[in-house]
Amino acid sequence: MRYLMTTKATDQTPDEKLYAEMGKFIEEMTAAGVLLATGGLDPKGIRIASAGDEITVTDGPFTEAKEAVAGFALVEVRSEEEAIELARRFRKVVGDGESTIQQVFGP
Amino acid sequence: MIDVRRTVDAVWKLESAAIIGGLTRIVRDVGLAEELAQDALVAALEQWPESGLPDNPGAWLTTTAKRRAIDHLRRAARLERRHEDLARELDQPQDVEHEDVLRLMFLSCHPVLPTPQRVSLTLRLVGGLTAAEIARAFLTSEPVITQRVAAAKEALAREGVPFELPVGESLAGRLSSVLEVVYLIFNEGYAATSGDDLMRPGLCQEALRLGRLLAELAPDEAEVHGLVALMEIQAARSAARTGPSGEPVRLHEQNRGRWDPLLIRRGFTAMLRARDIGGPPGPYVLQAAIAVCHTQARTAEDTDWAQIATLYDALVRLLPTPIVRLNRAVAVGEAHGPEAGLALVDELTTDRTLRDYHLLPSVRGDLLARLGRQAEARVEFGRAAAMTKNAAERAFLLRRAGELETDTSVVTLAQAATDFLARGDLDTATLRSYGQTLRRLRLSLGDRRPLESLTAQDVTRVFELSWSDAAAKTWNRHRSAIRTFTAWGSLADLAAGLPRRAETRQRIPAIGTEHLERLWNLGAPVREQTLWRLLHESAAQVRVVLSLDVEDLDLEDRRARASGTWVSWRSATARLLPELLAGRTRGPLFLADRRPGPARMPATEDLCPDTGRSRLSYERAEYLFKQATRALDPAGRGYTLRQLRPS
Repeated sequence: MRYLMTTKATDQTPDEKLYAEMGKFIEEMTAAGVLLATGGLDPKGIRIASAGDEITVTDGPFTEAKEAVAGFALVEVRSEEEAIELARRFRKVVGDGESTIQQVFGP
Repeated sequence: MIDVRRTVDAVWKLESAAIIGGLTRIVRDVGLAEELAQDALVAALEQWPESGLPDNPGAWLTTTAKRRAIDHLRRAARLERRHEDLARELDQPQDVEHEDVLRLMFLSCHPVLPTPQRVSLTLRLVGGLTAAEIARAFLTSEPVITQRVAAAKEALAREGVPFELPVGESLAGRLSSVLEVVYLIFNEGYAATSGDDLMRPGLCQEALRLGRLLAELAPDEAEVHGLVALMEIQAARSAARTGPSGEPVRLHEQNRGRWDPLLIRRGFTAMLRARDIGGPPGPYVLQAAIAVCHTQARTAEDTDWAQIATLYDALVRLLPTPIVRLNRAVAVGEAHGPEAGLALVDELTTDRTLRDYHLLPSVRGDLLARLGRQAEARVEFGRAAAMTKNAAERAFLLRRAGELETDTSVVTLAQAATDFLARGDLDTATLRSYGQTLRRLRLSLGDRRPLESLTAQDVTRVFELSWSDAAAKTWNRHRSAIRTFTAWGSLADLAAGLPRRAETRQRIPAIGTEHLERLWNLGAPVREQTLWRLLHESAAQVRVVLSLDVEDLDLEDRRARASGTWVSWRSATARLLPELLAGRTRGPLFLADRRPGPARMPATEDLCPDTGRSRLSYERAEYLFKQATRALDPAGRGYTLRQLRPS
């Protein structure tokens, strides 16, 4: 089963050490055949909304930036507990903040 | 909300390969390593609910397990290395850990083990699955898997298989053994060979994970990346290959929009890595290249079949298995027309290994349908349906057969066979024997095969495939069934191509003196000893000896009157008889162990009037003898009572 982990933005700017540790963690997870895809997200973003026949396109950045998703990881695991364990390891690397994991249905 | 037991299990599955690999390097015995790792797991289950989850559960398990390993070595006083060296084990750099996992994979896939053991051991040690999980995936029972894993560990210890990375010439063979195991696990999941579901996705994922892991551990091996590419691309199609009710959807009818683009991209990436390494493409790279070809076509019509046929030409040179040849025929059929494909398929119809393989008639049916040979195609789909063990696939094949129009006024082989067996003047034994012959004929030629179209050549081919190495007696029995069937149906002589085989009565050799001596000293129960001695000393038929009654015996003259002949014995039997009789004066000489149940009460002459027990049956006596002599028989089957006659 697949889980998508999304991580919210924080104030702190990542330093060299964090980059190195993250790189190592991603390598490990890829090597274990668990991590399918991952990436960071541009905080600016573009919002597309529909109401009736109307489509509105708004350029970011948005005021509620702290709620925005800053990164994602798609993992393939055998159980929810495995996904939690991976998220736990990820949180240990990145420090204070918040991530969400959700099971992915499909494709 | 967090269940500790399930968390321990999740952590274990993520770490087991590294833990067991590391421990095996320390203790040099994979069985012991697994036990120690299990101890750590038990410790976690005991302590974590009390103390809460440790900061780093994976590291906790690893450290605890390694401490136990070191304690074990100290206790076993096998300490060849200094304590500091061992202490250093607790803090191993990652690359050593990676090598341990790779060594572990080579070990669990070692060629000294039979394939089912390799598969079970790999899933257990490297995949971290429990015996129950493996059993569920392979639709078998937990004790079977437990036993396989134990046997594998024992064999590795017995053969002294070292925990090392193969190098030089042995590497290619050892690596292909690992790849074979991984692909086998994948295929068991992808094309479930039995059961109701066409796929068991858990196994596919397990194999993918093992493959991806292997690709990181052995990044310079093109075939590893080839296998990963092949599995990723096949897995990408998994959602599209079954329809709403679980029926299979053929590749060219699949909705390509349902292929998983993420896995396809991963497959392509793995393929590029394989290409970058270079060298002549091996079987997995070629199969992956074929999969890539299919995936690159935007629609089924766009498929570059000529390219695929070329790739199969190369593959068939490396891997000339009947299955690859069959797939090549499919590709050639698409690239160069059904006629060309059918010619290749027809070459395979005499291959014994494909005798019960449902895809052969299924492919043949497909090609025949495209050539407009509807009736023949229908027969082939019917045969394929009868052969497959998978329910979804069977339904699909029957539907394909049903879609083809045929003339219903034609008498089919199935109809004729049923009528023939139902004619009422055959006794049970003959009926069973004829039934066997006709069942094989129907399975090989198809239930819907018009009776009129049957030729002696067809029948000869079935005989060659099925009974060419059977005993002459068996061959002749089937032959006579065909002859009777032919006469009954007023058909052309279907047995024309079947010569009668000379039945040389092969006498099974009597048991040699040396083995007889050991037999007498086995310490068997007195009834068995007496029976065996009597058979040996009298050279009488087993049935006659078992039919003896106590009243028939003339102990003085060492002989008995039975079935119109004399059975006589010598001193060994004479010594045993009084003990066997134990004062009995009438009834069967050899008695069964228990009284018969009311439902199977034998005739009075086969019952002991004093004890109520029935006469020992030939079957039971034979079974007991076989069991008792299994260890003596060099062939390991055990002897038959007939072999007791003096040589």
